[in-house]
This record gives sequence, structure tokens and C-alpha cells, in this order.
Amino acid sequence: MSRTLETPLDSPLDTLQQLADQPWVTIVWNDPVNLMTYVSYVFRSYFGHSAEEAQRLMLVVHNEGRAVVASGGREEMERHVEAMHDFGLWATLSKESS
Amino acid sequence: MIPFSREGNLVTARLEPGETAVLAALAGQLIELLDERAAESPTDVLLAQLGIGGASAPPLDPALARLLPDAYRDDSEASSEHRQLTELGLVDRKIANARAVVATLNGGMLVVLDPPAAQSWLRHLTDLRLVLAARLQIEGDGDAGSGDDRMLDLYDWLGYLQGTLVECLE
Repeated sequence: MSRTLETPLDSPLDTLQQLADQPWVTIVWNDPVNLMTYVSYVFRSYFGHSAEEAQRLMLVVHNEGRAVVASGGREEMERHVEAMHDFGLWATLSKESS
Repeated sequence: MIPFSREGNLVTARLEPGETAVLAALAGQLIELLDERAAESPTDVLLAQLGIGGASAPPLDPALARLLPDAYRDDSEASSEHRQLTELGLVDRKIANARAVVATLNGGMLVVLDPPAAQSWLRHLTDLRLVLAARLQIEGDGDAGSGDDRMLDLYDWLGYLQGTLVECLE
């Protein structure tokens, strides 16, 4: 009798699933219109960030032109982008690597 | 004007009659702009009731394009698909915010906002400033804007008003 493998190998389907699960990100872009206090408020009230984290992300947007504010599945990121557009922030989503 | 301040769960401001008139007029113009966009959408009644079936291409007007941006930066196909599913809903919510703001102006000079009304004001003031900035060609940090001085003053005033509102919600 041959021994069975104790740890099953990942099936090709699992590998495909992992590729499909590659995280997407929500990016907020700098704009000259929105107040820094408002952007910070949006990050805190919508994403539930602490005041410090919201302030940090706002400054990344301001100083570097953009910041990743969330990551996860594509549909969730699409909902975040839509919510940012509700607030009047300029946001897009993309694959994490890009 | 006495800017926004907080009283318990409410935020209040006292506006001059001319200021409430300006806000009502701007809200009306924004509603018109958004209504026109929605009317252009090639939609059928059933899809519209579900809030989908919107336009597939971004608006040509830079002000509308900033209110209703693409969801993907380098993927026009995905942006188009996303826009068809979400744009009408976004337009509806922006119009609803504008109407909610107008409703709070009916009490005269004293503006009293409960938390949902304060949220509508926040978003609506942002939308107005985005439209004015597009008209004034304010495109990068530090741009002073070019155009009508009264429009520039209005843009700054709306920013001041919004700043005091944000402070109340901190």
C-alpha cells in the first residue's frame, strides 16, 4: 500500500483563486479644491481610521499626490470609490501592483 | 454671517438673506446640471428604477467630469462598465443633497442642521466648490483661479463655510 500525502497539494484551481484574490486598492488623488480638514474627516468617518491615521493619509495625498486608503476585493474597492465620489474626493481603484 | 457652531447634536449658522439666496440659486444650478446629465443617459425605465443604465462615457463638461469621475485611471472599458452601473445613483444622491440643503434654507437666516442634514451640507458644499473650481480653472495646488472676481470670492466663501462645518463635526 502506498501512503497518502498528509498535506494535500494545492490544486490548480486554488492557485487560480489566489491570483483572482490578488488585492485591489482604492487610491485617493490630490486635488486643489478639497480642504485638508475635510479629507481627513472623510478618512476618519468613512473608513473608521483614527485621527492620527486619517491625518497621515491626508498628508500622503497632499504631499505625494495620491495615497492608497484601502485594499481588498474588487467589488469592495468599487464601493469605496463610489463612496469617495459621493464625498467629492477624486478616487480610483486598481490592482495592487499597479 | 455667523459661521457654523455646534450645539449638542445640532450645528447652526446664521446667514444673511443674500447669502441664503446665493446658496439656493447655486443649488438650483447644480440640480439643473445634474438633471441634464441624467436626461442624456441612454436608459430604459426599468433600469433607471434600479439606479443603473447610466451613460458609458465621462461627461465632456469639466465640472461634471469632476463630479462624476472615472473609477479606473487606465482602463476605459472598466470605467465605462462601472459608470453604467453607478452614475445615475451618484447623480441622484448629489441632487438629493442639494435639495436637502435648500430645505434647510427655508427657515430664514438661522440654519439648523441635524446630523443627516450636516452630511448633505458637507457633500453639497464640496460639489459646489468642485464646479466653481472647474469654471475658474483651478487645476493644481496654489492655482489662484482666473475669471470673475465675484465667483472667486464665492469659491473662497464656500470654503470658509465648509471649514467651519467640518470643525463642528470633528
